[in-house]
Amino acid sequence: MAHIAKTHRSTFMQIAIPLAVAAALIALWEGGVRFFQVPEYIAPAPSVVLQVFISDFDNLMRNFVPTLIESLLGFTVGTLSAVLIAVAFVHSRFMMEGFFPIAVFVNTIPILAIAPVLVLLFGPGLTAKVVIAALICFFPTLVNMVRGLQSPTPQMMELARILSASHSEIFWKIRFPSSIPFLFSALKIAATTCVIGAIVGEWVGANIGLGALILEATFNFRSPLLYATIFLSSGLSVALFTAVTLAEKWLVKWQN
Amino acid sequence: MRVMQKSRAKAGGDDAPPAIALPPPAVALYSASVDFGAVKALNQIDLRIEDGEFITILGPSGCGKSTLLRLISDLVPPSAGAMSIFGDSTEAARLARQFAFVFQSAALLPWRTAVQNVRLPLEMGKKMAKKQGRALPVSAQSPEELLEFVGLKGRENAWPHELSGGMQQRVAIARALICKPKLLLMDEPFGALDEMTRDHLNLQLLDIWKKTGVTIVFVTHSIPEAVLLAQKVVMMKSQPGAIKKIIPIDLPAKRKLEMRDTAKFNKYAAQLRKLLGAH
Repeated sequence: MAHIAKTHRSTFMQIAIPLAVAAALIALWEGGVRFFQVPEYIAPAPSVVLQVFISDFDNLMRNFVPTLIESLLGFTVGTLSAVLIAVAFVHSRFMMEGFFPIAVFVNTIPILAIAPVLVLLFGPGLTAKVVIAALICFFPTLVNMVRGLQSPTPQMMELARILSASHSEIFWKIRFPSSIPFLFSALKIAATTCVIGAIVGEWVGANIGLGALILEATFNFRSPLLYATIFLSSGLSVALFTAVTLAEKWLVKWQN
Repeated sequence: MRVMQKSRAKAGGDDAPPAIALPPPAVALYSASVDFGAVKALNQIDLRIEDGEFITILGPSGCGKSTLLRLISDLVPPSAGAMSIFGDSTEAARLARQFAFVFQSAALLPWRTAVQNVRLPLEMGKKMAKKQGRALPVSAQSPEELLEFVGLKGRENAWPHELSGGMQQRVAIARALICKPKLLLMDEPFGALDEMTRDHLNLQLLDIWKKTGVTIVFVTHSIPEAVLLAQKVVMMKSQPGAIKKIIPIDLPAKRKLEMRDTAKFNKYAAQLRKLLGAH
């Protein structure tokens, strides 16, 4: 019982400490802006940003939904294709040796450089943003998934051999389950980066979405709106990250 | 010899002609060698292990003890020589689940509970069994009963990380017994455990051996362990790996930990230590 009580206390502290620090920082910001009388277009006070959240709520939501859809689609397409390609890599030496260097090369191109190319290729619609978001999720998932699928110990593989297991039995009973923790660390990265991908895509060519709103607010010196948009987009990342973390807790019960 | 006579009586009765009634040996190796590239891991091994025997294999590190187990279990092919497991090829023996393997690391699947790990052999190789038109052999004891048998009652639903090293190894032993093997190959299974746990598991293993009648080939680097468990100690030497000497251990059938303090036990231990050192 003492053990359980201790766990509860530490979970409480885990939530309480960062919340308290965040609250203190916001209070410091508010106080600083007021004390030094910083102009609103340079750095708006948190209270002003909050007001914009309420007054511009409809505007923010209208731009939030497209970014949410692009992020989710990009996340799904990027991670799913990475998982499938990782499976192909682990089963075929030729695939791994032939395509892994290309995947590394594509990953080294800055996303800001490749985004205009993709918008040219796929047009100004939804597709280009989804492709950019997917691309940014792809590589970390691929690398982690390949490692995960190769993570069974030599003894586990010898055991499978002694049990005369087929390729599909080895995959479904050993390789895939052992890759799950690796997959989730990749999904956590992808959950936050897919939002960045969608926003970068919107910067290059869009008139709606959080990315477009960030540009619009910047050019019009509407700093409180800019800050509100930034908070909203990082809120989206945090929400997706939390969703993946909860899914991991629910699915991966075997780790402490 | 004692065991051979016993199994002969089991197989055919006293009046049966010995040549026919003799069951095939559990393991027979005839000048079997294993090469890893240019390295000769095992050189011309001749070894005969009778059904029901408890054999320990002892030798300096790198002498090919583990390779010998992997050769018997069809994980490593012989580069020369011939071999049989209960009169069959090693592949046929593997397909028929004649033997089971216990590794030094328990090699449990961390995403499966203890009882799910014990059940694993029943879920793998199903395709192979179907193709061959036969069912996998299954122990009369359920996975839960096997866990109870190895002293893990009440821990059926524990995750491997919640179990101590000794408990994990017991799960691995229960998993090895689920397909009712006739031959148990153990590669330093208690090597990573503390001495108390090791003593306890040694006695438990002797108990399992007696109750199931399984043949056991047990690799170890501990001289006392080798003597305590075995009817015969196979002493190996390295470079290349080969059998140096086979020493029958003539101690009472019911082994006890206290025997380690007797003069006879210490004589065997000294003899083995000398053989190890004389390499």
